[in-house]
Amino acid sequence: MVALLIKNFIRSKGLLVGLAILFISGIISLNIGKQFLEKNEKIIQKTSHFQKENIDRYVQYMNKEMGLLLYYVRFGLVNETPNIVGLSIGQRDINPSLHNVTIRNLEEQKYTTDLMNPMYQLIGNMDLSFVIIYFFPLIIIAFGFNLVSEEKEEGTWSLVLSQTANTQKMLRLKAGVRYVSILSVLFLLLLIAKFYLSIPFDIYFTVYILTAFFYISFWFSLVWLVVSFHKNSSQNALILLTSWITLTIIVPALMNALVIQLYPIPEAFSTVLDSRDGYHSQWDKAKEPTIEKFHQLYPQLVKYNHPKDKDFSWLWYYAMQQMGDETAVASSKKLKEKIKQRENLSKKLGLWVPTIHTQLTMNTLCFSDITNYLAFIEALERFHEQKRMYFYPKIFSDTPVSSEKWDTFSLAYFKNQPVINLYMVLLPYLIISTLCLLWANINFNRKKYNL
Amino acid sequence: MLIANNLTKKYGDKIALNNLNLNIKTGEIFALLGQNGAGKTTTINCFLGFIKPTSGEATIHGVSVTNHSAETKQYIAYIPETVMLYPNLTGVENLAFFSSLANFNYSKADLSSFLTKAGLQESAHHQAIKSYSKGMRQKVGIAIAVAKKAIALLLDEPTSGLDPKASNEFSEILRELSTNGTSILMATHDIFRAKEVAHRIGIMKEGNLVSEIEAKDISANELEQLYLQTV
Repeated sequence: MVALLIKNFIRSKGLLVGLAILFISGIISLNIGKQFLEKNEKIIQKTSHFQKENIDRYVQYMNKEMGLLLYYVRFGLVNETPNIVGLSIGQRDINPSLHNVTIRNLEEQKYTTDLMNPMYQLIGNMDLSFVIIYFFPLIIIAFGFNLVSEEKEEGTWSLVLSQTANTQKMLRLKAGVRYVSILSVLFLLLLIAKFYLSIPFDIYFTVYILTAFFYISFWFSLVWLVVSFHKNSSQNALILLTSWITLTIIVPALMNALVIQLYPIPEAFSTVLDSRDGYHSQWDKAKEPTIEKFHQLYPQLVKYNHPKDKDFSWLWYYAMQQMGDETAVASSKKLKEKIKQRENLSKKLGLWVPTIHTQLTMNTLCFSDITNYLAFIEALERFHEQKRMYFYPKIFSDTPVSSEKWDTFSLAYFKNQPVINLYMVLLPYLIISTLCLLWANINFNRKKYNL
Repeated sequence: MLIANNLTKKYGDKIALNNLNLNIKTGEIFALLGQNGAGKTTTINCFLGFIKPTSGEATIHGVSVTNHSAETKQYIAYIPETVMLYPNLTGVENLAFFSSLANFNYSKADLSSFLTKAGLQESAHHQAIKSYSKGMRQKVGIAIAVAKKAIALLLDEPTSGLDPKASNEFSEILRELSTNGTSILMATHDIFRAKEVAHRIGIMKEGNLVSEIEAKDISANELEQLYLQTV
């Protein structure tokens, strides 16, 4: 029977066109992922070269004062971009994977890196996750909406009913052929992705595959539930397309609105203003309080003081810069906390909405979620602080520029390793899909012999 | 073999079938005549288990259709007015598919012999159903019924739309099945076909079986007169 169902499926050209569309859009999405990775790699290589060139140039021309030199010299920290990012670009196209900072006021510099064309942020990226989350369900709906109704509408159902008492078995096999065909395209795309994007077969890629598999299974179970009501084809199509619009567009939009409503972030604006005010207002103030605060922050630097006979010193200048960050520290902390709260709430609500859960999970697995970016920002803060702590004593003690081995300052890398809780990833799909299947089973048994 | 015992089906206030009593013996062909809406198809659907009777009982081989629908499926085969098949599959493949639904797995040679027996020319066996005429599809339907080796055959206007030659071939097959012990209940508008092939003929009107005649006791013309007077 299975062989005949497969033959019937293969000979139906419309279904093959559906599979072809999925495959082609999958290939396009992999190409988009590849282009993103290449562009990112290019940026990192260029920045690495630029940093070296930049340091060499400034060391050559600003070689009298360490303080002046470090006003200009930038140090880069790269948020490592594993190739799996190509599958789900997520936040990576909004937030940069590289920050180039001087040891001056950090808060301001966090938002000055703009290495991407903002146009890409507007149109988004059709990566593989997008294809899986948005396109696959549409084809699943097209394959399954008339699973039972076409039998009724084309007149074969009465003959089927007269031949067997177990019509559900036949329908299961019919759905199974479609399920396997869609999964074949999915696994083929993932196999191509593995080699085309050179993705290592690690825990993240494995869980990505599982997530995609369970997401596809969820949609099949939803289709199975809808067809179990024995409605006609147009009603099934309407219900399923409405479900698709609801799950992929309306609910995410509502959730986004809810999250924004619950956790407004005025700090995003005030952090920048606080930082700028904190720094700029120091110009008009007496130097002593600024330096005093600086010494309170870094007691190990108490031995360095502002010369009373001079109007300007690098100690005062960098203390003033430091005040920019210190003034913004509260709002910056609040900003990060609220972003984390937004992310946590989204993840919790997403557990009940497979589309959102899949997007968030895939972003996490592909190192492109907001958590990854926040971790990168925290790493940048540590990196910036290390650079300050390394150079402050040298600046304040007027160490000669030539005493430093500048060629050792190459790009630094940050590597984030998210912890994956497999139960939290897969359990929502299992629960929702099982409920759909159980409900469908009740419907099928109730309408077992319905014409 | 096929027994209807006070079989009644109501849709709200409308009575589709009213206390029908029938007893079709092994190897007997019973033709039900009547206008549209007389209750012929409802009777067949009750035996098929497609609809639940409001009261009364339909039994096949002593088994209640209502209570043991799954079990009675194995005893029956059905040919609807228009046999609809999977257009992308060939005649042989359709037969194989419907036979496998009934848990019969035949060889290709067996499948072909069923189709030939049903009167389908060999050149059509491996053509897609979408190229078949209605008559050819009916023949595949007959082959499906024969391949199921059912002890009871339920036919709902099976010769409607068939040309005279195909109708005649169809009657031959029914007679052969009957000789082999298959009980047949056939709903039809075709008075002459009913007279020619059936052992007994019942005339239905508004859900009631108003006449029951032995086919051998009446001529075709008399049957036509009786039918016209009754309906």
